[in-house]
Amino acid sequence: MENRTLRGLGLGLCLIWLFFSFFPLYWVFVTAFKPPLAVSQGATYIPFIDFRPTLQAFRDALSGIRGDFFGPIASSVMISLVATALSVFLGSMAAYALVRFQFRIRLLSGLTFGIISIGGFVLLNGTFDITVPYALLIVLVLALVASIYVNRLPLPGPVLGNNDVTFWFVSQRMFPPIVSAFALFLLYAEVGRAGLPLLDSFLGMVLAYTAFGLPFAVWLMRDFLSTVPVEVEEAAQVDNIGRIRIFFQIVLPMSLPGLLATSMIVLAFIWNEFLFALLLTTGDWQTLPILIAGQNSSRGDEWWAISVAALIAIVPMVIVAAILGRMMRSGLLSGSIK
Amino acid sequence: MQSGAVRHDRVKYAFIWPAFLIVLVISIFPLIYALTVSFQSVRLVPPIPPRFVGLDNYAEILSSGRFWGSTWTTASIVFMSVALQYVFGFVIALALHHNVRGSSLYRVVFLLPMFIAPVCVALIARMVFHPYLGPVNDAMNLFGFVNIPFLTEAPLAIMVLVVIETWQWTPFVTLLMLAGLQGLPGEVFEAARVDDIGPWRRFWDLTFPMLLPLSVAVIFIRLVEGFKIIDTVFVLTGGGPGTATETLTLFAYNEGFKKFNLGMTSALSFVFLIVVIVFGTVYLALAQRLTRRYA
Repeated sequence: MENRTLRGLGLGLCLIWLFFSFFPLYWVFVTAFKPPLAVSQGATYIPFIDFRPTLQAFRDALSGIRGDFFGPIASSVMISLVATALSVFLGSMAAYALVRFQFRIRLLSGLTFGIISIGGFVLLNGTFDITVPYALLIVLVLALVASIYVNRLPLPGPVLGNNDVTFWFVSQRMFPPIVSAFALFLLYAEVGRAGLPLLDSFLGMVLAYTAFGLPFAVWLMRDFLSTVPVEVEEAAQVDNIGRIRIFFQIVLPMSLPGLLATSMIVLAFIWNEFLFALLLTTGDWQTLPILIAGQNSSRGDEWWAISVAALIAIVPMVIVAAILGRMMRSGLLSGSIK
Repeated sequence: MQSGAVRHDRVKYAFIWPAFLIVLVISIFPLIYALTVSFQSVRLVPPIPPRFVGLDNYAEILSSGRFWGSTWTTASIVFMSVALQYVFGFVIALALHHNVRGSSLYRVVFLLPMFIAPVCVALIARMVFHPYLGPVNDAMNLFGFVNIPFLTEAPLAIMVLVVIETWQWTPFVTLLMLAGLQGLPGEVFEAARVDDIGPWRRFWDLTFPMLLPLSVAVIFIRLVEGFKIIDTVFVLTGGGPGTATETLTLFAYNEGFKKFNLGMTSALSFVFLIVVIVFGTVYLALAQRLTRRYA
């Protein structure tokens, strides 16, 4: 008896939530087909009954009389596809290394890196007046060489393992993004002054988003790759096939569903990302979220136009969500979400 | 992991270095420069050569009312919305886990909000909560209430932001809690049912404590992610009325890109980083004590 009331309550809540989740999406969808009067004379809900649907808003958007839509769409597509591919690819490689090999990094070596890089930068930039990008580059090389050397020495202190390396990758996500986005903006501006324009450029955005997507890629792919059986690889090793070939010809093909799922998730994050795009682009490489955020002030209450813009950004993500939903139902993702 | 691991395989560096270098160069290294900038007074407009000012930027932030105001705004949005997300997300996950009628349909629709760009969500919310033309106020009128200016009164605007965050991120909680529920050992619950223990007690004595570690992690992720909020606010209210709905990230952005006060923004982002680190440490310490008491 009690069970049945609970079931009823659960169903009721689910139905309410269904309405709550679905209504805003329905609203933006129908509004895109509304003629201006159906917006400005109060809320209308059902096409053909409340108002006569029209494709005018879509025509306006596509013909470009309401500002350039294709530019931001093209840059969003290019930047997010390339950055997703790069971060999933590099992330899988790193994840594979973290699953199959053991890393031992001395805490002291990490400290050396930090001290040399911060101290060295202040010294070079402040005292010797070397410009920021070069100072950073010199310091980076010096600090890396020094810390690799220190890592080889038999020094005391804690030794970090694979989990710590994974945590190092994932912890990038815990930072407030304004910290790295703003720092990156400052750095890109300096690099631009030294001759390589990165602000508002394809390369700059792809680099930023690759770094942005890598923590997810490493974290998710580590779980997917750890389910690939070692035996196959060991058999291949007996046949003297190199690790790199094993990775590309055996491991990657075997974890294709995982690669697909990871790519979808990373793609969704990059496609929707706002803050980096806001800080790092000014015009040529503006992405869709920036265009959409701008609709608000430039369009006022022209909701049909705003809805079309929003729909353009939403539709690809609906497809992504549907693919992921199907994969989830087949139980693929249940193992990876821990 | 162990079998091939002991050998000194140099190839492992080839696998990890590219990813490591990109994160290091793009995410970590700029921080060094930003850190030095945060101790300087750098203005782009009017352009003044950078000048070392020590801790002045930090002192100015800590004594500015706008900083504390935006901290308070961010914290209230985050705490209210995460509480709602957790409760609703968990209950929906329970319902789905017990195969409420039509649960396969819900699974896809419930996922959707998570994948929609926050700027789009905010634009939709602007339409839905419009004082005269939006459906929410239309429904209010239907029931005889007056139109409510949701977006121009600070407390209401904050409530709208909480609703938006809850709308968008409850699916995340549902997804993870559902995965957790599916991983629980079925025998324990069978035994409890045989012993005639009611569903209420079964939940509080078995399900909830067993999922506590997962809950702690899920809430942690949501809190940390929630503190980053800027896009929704940027579109929905622009921080207004006045600065009443300005969040920390938006405040930092405004300092840097409207006032061109780069030193301040750098300092602000580091203060923000420290706030998140302190907060995360405290949260994890408290959560650990809580889990231990239950275990």
